[in-house]
Amino acid sequence: MTNATDVFTITIRRRPWWFWALAVIWLLLEVVIFQTAFASVRESEYRATTICWIAAAVLAGGGVFGWLRRGQAGRPDKWSKQL
Amino acid sequence: MERRTLLKASGLVAASGALGSLWALATGAGSSDSARKRARWIRVVDRPTLGETTADYKRFSGNDIFTIYRPLKNQRDGAGSFEAEQASKAKRLAAWTIEKKPGYSLPDRQLSEGAFTVMHSAKPGSGLLSWTRPSVSATEEPVTQRYTASLEEMANTVKAAARLYGAGLVGIAPMNEAYVNLLVPHREQLRKDSPNKDTSQKIQHPLVPGQEGGHPGGEHSAELHRDGEHPCGVHEKDQPQATQPRQDKEIVFEDTDVPAVTDTKFVIPRKMKWVVAIAIPMDLDLLSRAPTALGDTAAALGYSHSAFVVASMAVFIRGLGYEAIPCVNDTAQSIPFAVDAGIGELSRLNKLVTPEFGAGVRLCKVFTDMPMAYDKPVDFGLVEFCKTCKKCAEACPSRALSFDDEPSFKTRGPWNNPGHKAWFEDSYKCYEYWQKTGTGCGICLASCPYTKGDQAWIHEAVKATASNAPATDGAFRVMDDAFGYGKQRDLEQWWTKDHSGRRG
Repeated sequence: MTNATDVFTITIRRRPWWFWALAVIWLLLEVVIFQTAFASVRESEYRATTICWIAAAVLAGGGVFGWLRRGQAGRPDKWSKQL
Repeated sequence: MERRTLLKASGLVAASGALGSLWALATGAGSSDSARKRARWIRVVDRPTLGETTADYKRFSGNDIFTIYRPLKNQRDGAGSFEAEQASKAKRLAAWTIEKKPGYSLPDRQLSEGAFTVMHSAKPGSGLLSWTRPSVSATEEPVTQRYTASLEEMANTVKAAARLYGAGLVGIAPMNEAYVNLLVPHREQLRKDSPNKDTSQKIQHPLVPGQEGGHPGGEHSAELHRDGEHPCGVHEKDQPQATQPRQDKEIVFEDTDVPAVTDTKFVIPRKMKWVVAIAIPMDLDLLSRAPTALGDTAAALGYSHSAFVVASMAVFIRGLGYEAIPCVNDTAQSIPFAVDAGIGELSRLNKLVTPEFGAGVRLCKVFTDMPMAYDKPVDFGLVEFCKTCKKCAEACPSRALSFDDEPSFKTRGPWNNPGHKAWFEDSYKCYEYWQKTGTGCGICLASCPYTKGDQAWIHEAVKATASNAPATDGAFRVMDDAFGYGKQRDLEQWWTKDHSGRRG
């Protein structure tokens, strides 16, 4: 329950430029790895397929985890600028 | 290193990889093969990457080609040794077929035999590979005009036709008489490995004793079968033999208007100054099942496609009003023409490796007097890659390939033609291994890191990077191993896999 006297602070943080650069690279890598995985299936390169699926899953998991972790409220983030 | 620096560094590396892929996909001009645009990382150069031939380079005797040299040597060294070996090989193959050894089952072996059919009908100078125009029949239109255009247009016309007929890569090289063999061996004229072959002998199916002709179609001629054996295992040596006149035929250049094949020689007119060099891609899925009858099917199909393409090209060129001589492996060395035409580079295999299909190609060529713009050799960083990689040499079960760091002029036997720099191979060892497998081999072709399908973008990016940054070659070799490329695939799985996507 909140009271009318409670004070809330909303912090808006701007992510640094390199975060967005990394996000673009992450996306590109995901696309390339997924494409390689699908292509490897078609070419019957099963070991390459397995490695690519694992790499894609780890990369996807890492990306999602990083995004959510950084987005957590109240978490100190020395890399982001507080506005 | 701080976490932030590490993150930034890994980001940069990843970015280069990802952007490299996109860049490799985006590039696509500046090609020696104008019927198909090639990537920019395939650089057109003035001289072959392993240098030009020296004065020691001489016309090669067709009898020194390793598949012919060895049987002849065996014949010279000990009477009948080759025949005994062939008989033993045939028995072994028959036993493997009966016990359904993976890669050698009846369907596997018949797949290979079926794929060889066109090639077996293609003998130098006759039939499909005829050197002369067929006589004009009532239904044929006589050639009354000659196609002329600019040299570039003429080349493009020929390349477009070659593509249509099934060429994977095509280039135009100048005729070099030194690349043309001295003779066509009688064995090649017969398309047989075993001497004293009687091609008229009828043989019976071994799996159906007492029944004439176990195959659909009944009794059949041995003429269509390779290596002196029935594909199901009965060697023709087991059958009564008849003698056949045997004669090597000289190949000569003369100032004549038309090519000719006589009882004693093959005549190439000197005015034939153009060579259409063609690479036919092999089926990589089958090649990856070498060395078995299944793997051999990739080569068989490549040869048959080659025969079809050059035969079609010869008719096409003759129809345009010019002379044409179609050749598959016969008559001349295909690799130097292909190098001069910019189809690929000479590799550690001492065979051609192309940027697009790696070593998984069969080569053929058409000699003609039709004027066309010549292409130039290419450089896509292969020689530097081969110096580091050595994967083919390690994969070769007979240790026939060179482990030397640098290519040299030092040959390893009469099957090598001196006078050019290469990683020369021991073809004798290679052919001995063929006798053990009962088929051809092809492990080296399949193991080459350039022999890959063209579906994955990343392969283009890797080849583009290797072409421009040889320092990365070692890392790419390690990655190639880690990803499991070049290993023999499941032999039995081929028949049960989904073939519906195959275009035929």
